[in-house]
Parts: sequence; structure tokens; C-alpha cells
Amino acid sequence: MGSGRWSTDVYTAAENFRAATGRSAFAYSDGGARTAHPDLDPKGVFMRESRDSDEHPVSTPIVVMFDVTGSMGNVPRVLQTKLPQLLGLLTRKGYATDPQIMFGAIGDATCDRVPLQVGQFESDNRMDEHLSRIVLEGGGGGQKRESYELAMYFLARHVVADSLVQRQRKGYLFLIGDELPYRKVKPKEVKQVIGDDLAEAIPVESIVAELQRKFEVFFILPTAAGYGGDREVLDTWRGLLGQNVLELDDLDAVCETIALTVGLGEDNVDLDEGLDDLAAYGSAAAGSVAGALAPLADRSPQIRRL
Amino acid sequence: MREHVAVVDLGYGDAGKGTVVDALCGNQRVRAVLRFNGGAQAAHNVVADGRHHTFSQFGAGTLRGVPTHLTRFMVVDPLALSAEAAALGNPYHLLTVDGDALLATPWHRAANRRKERSNRHGSCGMGIGETMAYALTHADAPRVADVLSPARLRRRLERVQEAYGFTDAPVDDVVEAFVAFGRAVRIVHESHTMRLLAEGPCVFEGAQGVLLDEWRGWHPHTTWSTTTFDNVAELCPSFRRLGVVRTYTTRHGAGPFVTENPLLDLPETHNGHGEWQGAFRTGHFDAVAHRYAVEVAGGVDELAVTHLDAPVRETGLKICTSYRVDGEIHDRIVPGPHRDLAHQERLTAWLDRARPAELHRPADWATEIGGLLGAPVTLESYGPRAIDKRFVPAGVHRPAGIRLPTYCLV
Repeated sequence: MGSGRWSTDVYTAAENFRAATGRSAFAYSDGGARTAHPDLDPKGVFMRESRDSDEHPVSTPIVVMFDVTGSMGNVPRVLQTKLPQLLGLLTRKGYATDPQIMFGAIGDATCDRVPLQVGQFESDNRMDEHLSRIVLEGGGGGQKRESYELAMYFLARHVVADSLVQRQRKGYLFLIGDELPYRKVKPKEVKQVIGDDLAEAIPVESIVAELQRKFEVFFILPTAAGYGGDREVLDTWRGLLGQNVLELDDLDAVCETIALTVGLGEDNVDLDEGLDDLAAYGSAAAGSVAGALAPLADRSPQIRRL
Repeated sequence: MREHVAVVDLGYGDAGKGTVVDALCGNQRVRAVLRFNGGAQAAHNVVADGRHHTFSQFGAGTLRGVPTHLTRFMVVDPLALSAEAAALGNPYHLLTVDGDALLATPWHRAANRRKERSNRHGSCGMGIGETMAYALTHADAPRVADVLSPARLRRRLERVQEAYGFTDAPVDDVVEAFVAFGRAVRIVHESHTMRLLAEGPCVFEGAQGVLLDEWRGWHPHTTWSTTTFDNVAELCPSFRRLGVVRTYTTRHGAGPFVTENPLLDLPETHNGHGEWQGAFRTGHFDAVAHRYAVEVAGGVDELAVTHLDAPVRETGLKICTSYRVDGEIHDRIVPGPHRDLAHQERLTAWLDRARPAELHRPADWATEIGGLLGAPVTLESYGPRAIDKRFVPAGVHRPAGIRLPTYCLV
């Protein structure tokens, strides 16, 4: 026995563990992977499930999908480092009950090798693993469009959530990107990427309407991204999603923005309280969040009820 | 070695379990070293290939590449673990941790030190006892598997922080460090223990010593840990029980120590005055107390005797075979009913009045100690390195059956 010779403080310990594990946050992508990781490949997936459990009896499904094409520049990397904090933010102040988070990535089915990646709904740090396995495509077609409609099709048809089945409560979907969707969900791409046989193309407006039966859908446009602030992009998404289009001037605030949006939607916090929470927590993001959430500020909070 | 072996210290700790485990791992192919009690306060010194390491949570076979498994009986301290791992070159590939094991937090540690300042007990200031005490009254005490669920971990850590009222370590920062711990180590189900035991011979490495046992030691100068073979018996159906003793008796910190003799010149390389434990005390070999340890441990199958080089250097060193208490001679400490702390406390008072009665100096220390404790000495140690050890072929010494403790016969 002895006297705790290896005693250390919490900060040194965290640093030691990180140095020892030493993985890049983007290990899979940086390892040169050019195909979706098996855990994130939508091909042949029947359902991604957000289920209630003994430990999480009142699950709240939250999906965050971000554009990983070239026009987003460094944005996906920043998101990959920021998003792991999302769960903590949601739970710390009770913005959401039993949040279950799924991450995914959107590319371009007309030219990318990895046009769609979708993780699983997780309520612990396994979601970090999914994040680390996302391939950062960096390509994109240069035609100001990405396959958002393909991602929306998958989420509309291949997600089952107990919140909806058991409690008639929608989930939350955050699309983070800077470009337009293609005008139609194309059967050939659906077959190739997901494996479904689709009789005919689905107009993007129809798939959005179908998706909104399951999710409260938000589009976050980081103004740091390629087409940030682009009028056509903003107008098109506003046409599809109304006031649920949020312009974000500081990517560092992405988690706070998502967390507070969910908190507002769940009626667990109002905007002023939420901004106070952020300030109390020492977050410098309050200003950016306030700007992004301005469209939501004056509307009734009961946005999630069916 | 085809059987599993459990290595337990029959004294107050510091007998040399670390070097014994290291020697067992060097002598035979060992599947894994399993830790079954205590936590980060253990300090098992091993010198191998010119390298000295004080093992605390990693098993003492680590320098030989033998994996360590921390069983559910351990109190795991991620903060201390990170420092120990860094000193070893981060051999996380050699480590598995049972998800059910309790987690020691900075708040447990702080509470332990606060108590120790006001009322010296002789603990190590690592919060092991505090963690065990907290778990007894809180069903949601943080456990290792919680680091895989940050939300649950946060809830449970917040409860600990609230319970103790310390605010110096922010919960967020502890969550972050513990989650990082979860990424570095492999967290396994309880069945992992069974798998290791099925795959090959394992060594169970005990911490502290039987005379510090929470139920059998000199209450209240004990540890919050079962230091006998009891935990091993819960994990493993069959194993050989190896008791470790020094040629002289030592004690770190407060509590009865009948044969203590500060005049003995026995310099200690790796043990010194502990900030939280107090002085390192030495004395003659206490055969009376060690026989009590064998008895309450349910017997031992074999013995390892360490520091056999010491009697040569200190010619005043002797073996005590009886006490004088209140004018009477006693050669046995009679075990009381199990889990009777009032009895143990009376025993402590009785021992405080005891003085050595009969002291002698044997010609052959190993044989003499084996005879007094009723088990063959199968390992003799003359120094800290594995090459200082001598494995004694079984049968050289008088083999002894397992003596049932008297309280089992009643």
C-alpha cells in the first residue's frame, strides 16, 4: 500500500488521456477513407430507430445533418469538434428530456463518392464515434446544389421514433449547409445510395411536407460558409421551411443554437432565459445565438405538437 | 503454474506483494493480473530491467506485458490512473475495467482529506473509503460504465458534489476528464473476469494487508476494503492462497503495533513518511498478529517471505511469538464473530496494552516463519528484483493443511 503517488488533478488527467488516445477527431476521413463507414452507410438500412428505454423513457429524437462538400470549406471540421458538446448542453439545463442524437452528412449524389452518411440515434458518447467516422467529402458539384433532398427522403422514410409512435411528438432535424437542394428526389440515386425502388421522382416540396410530419425541420446557414448570406439560398429554404431558416454568423455557437432551439420547441425555456443560461455558463455565443434565433423569438413555443 | 493464485499480504501492507506478483508473472505465463480490492492508494513497488515503478491501479505484471483487469471490487480513480499510465508509457492496451466498479471523484478525495486533517486515521488521502461509504448510502453512486453515458455521469457526479458541498472542481471538467478516461480504457462486463479465468492462469493481486481488513483489522485503524481472500472467492471458484510476509513487521500510519521498535535500523527504499498516512513504522516480526491474519483469512496454502536479506544487516531483529497483556502471556489473538466492529474495537484497546513477551532470533528465518504460520514457504525474496527471488520446490517444507478458523468450527 502507500500514499497515492499518482495523484493528479482533473485537468492534467484529461490531457493525459487525450494525449494517450491521440486520435484525430476525423480519424476515419483523415485515414484516407473514400467510402461511407459501415456504421454510417444508408444502403440497405431499414430503419434508424430512436427508442424509449428504461434509462431514457421519454426520448426526444434530434438529427443533425451537415453538408460536407467543398463549398462548406472548414465548416464540417469545426462542426465535428463542436457537436460532441451538444448532448451536455441539452441535458445540463433540461432543454430536452432524454435526448437521442443522430449525426449525418450530406454530399452530392451527382458527383460525390459519399453522397449520404447517417449514424444512429445515441444518448451517450457513441455519437462522437459516428462523428469521427464521417467522411469529409470536400468535393461537390459547383452548381450551388447538394443532395439535401436525398437526405430528407431517407429521414422521412427510414426513421422510426417512439416519441412519435408513443406520444405524438415530433423530433427535431437540423440541416446545416449553404446550398440548394435538387428539385426532385431521383429514383436512380435513391436506388444507388439507399437501395429503395422508387416508381417516380418526388418533388422536393412533397418530401419536405412528408418529412415535417415526423420532424420540426430547421435549416442553419453558417455565414462563414461558401454561399453564406446568399439571397437565392435563403429564399429557397425560406420557401420550403418558412421561419425555420436560421442564419448563424459564428460557427462556434452551433451547439448553443441547436440546444436553445430545441429548448424553445419543447417549451422548456424562453429565449431570454436561454440567453441568460448561455451567459451564465460562460458561453460567448449568446450574441450569435440571439441573432440566429431572432425569427423564432416572437412565435408561440408549441411548435412541436402534431 | 496452472492454478490461479491469489496474493494477499498478511500484515499491514507493504510486505512486497508487488515484487511477488512480478516474480510470478516472470516465472510463468500468466493470462492476467486481477485487482480485487482497494484502489489508487495501493503502492506496489517493482524493479524490473532497471526500471522502478510504483504500481497503484495497474497490476504489478505490467512491465512484463501481462494484462491487468480491474474487477468490480475495485475503486477506480481515473485521475490517478492517468498519471500512473503516463509514467508507464500509457499501456492502455493492457488494461480492462469492470463497468460495475465504483469511481472515486475529486470530491470524495477532498472529503477524505478534510476528515483526515481533523481526526488522523492513517488513510492515504485518496478518498477510497469515502467512495465506499458514499456508495453504501447512494444507489446512484458513479460507476465506471457511467463514463460511457455522459448525461448520466453528469447527473451522478452532480449528486456527489452536492452531497459534499465542495465546489473547487467544476462538474463539467470532471465529466470531460472521466469521458476521456472512458475512451482510453476498455470497459467490460463482469463476464470478462470469467473469460480471463477460463483462458489461463491468473494472479489475483491484493492491496493493503489482512491486518487492515475492514472487518478483521484493529478497528477503527483499518481500510474500507476486504483484504482477505473473500472477494477472490466471489470471483473465482478455485485458487491457491499465497500469503506474503516480511521478515520484519511494518505499519504505515496510526493504530496498534505491538512489536514496533524504532531502534531497528531497516532503511526503506520505496516507503517513506506519507503526507496523509504519517510515519512509516517498523518493528520485530509479529508472529502472533500474523497467525491471527492467517486464521481470519481462512488459511493460506503457501507463503512468500520477503526481505530475507534484512536479518543479516540488522542483527537485532527478532521474532515475537507471544504478548504480555495486563500481566498475562498470550500467544494467540482470538478472532471474534465476523463483522463485529465492537469486538474489533475492544481488541484494539487490548492490543494497545500488549507488549512483546517472548522474542527470539531464528537460524533459518524462512523455515521458522513457515512453521509459525503453518504453511510451506514456496517463495523466498532477498531483494526487489525478480532475480532476488527463489522459488522453493513444493514439499521442502512441512506441508500444512488448511486450518479452519475457530469461528467456523463453532
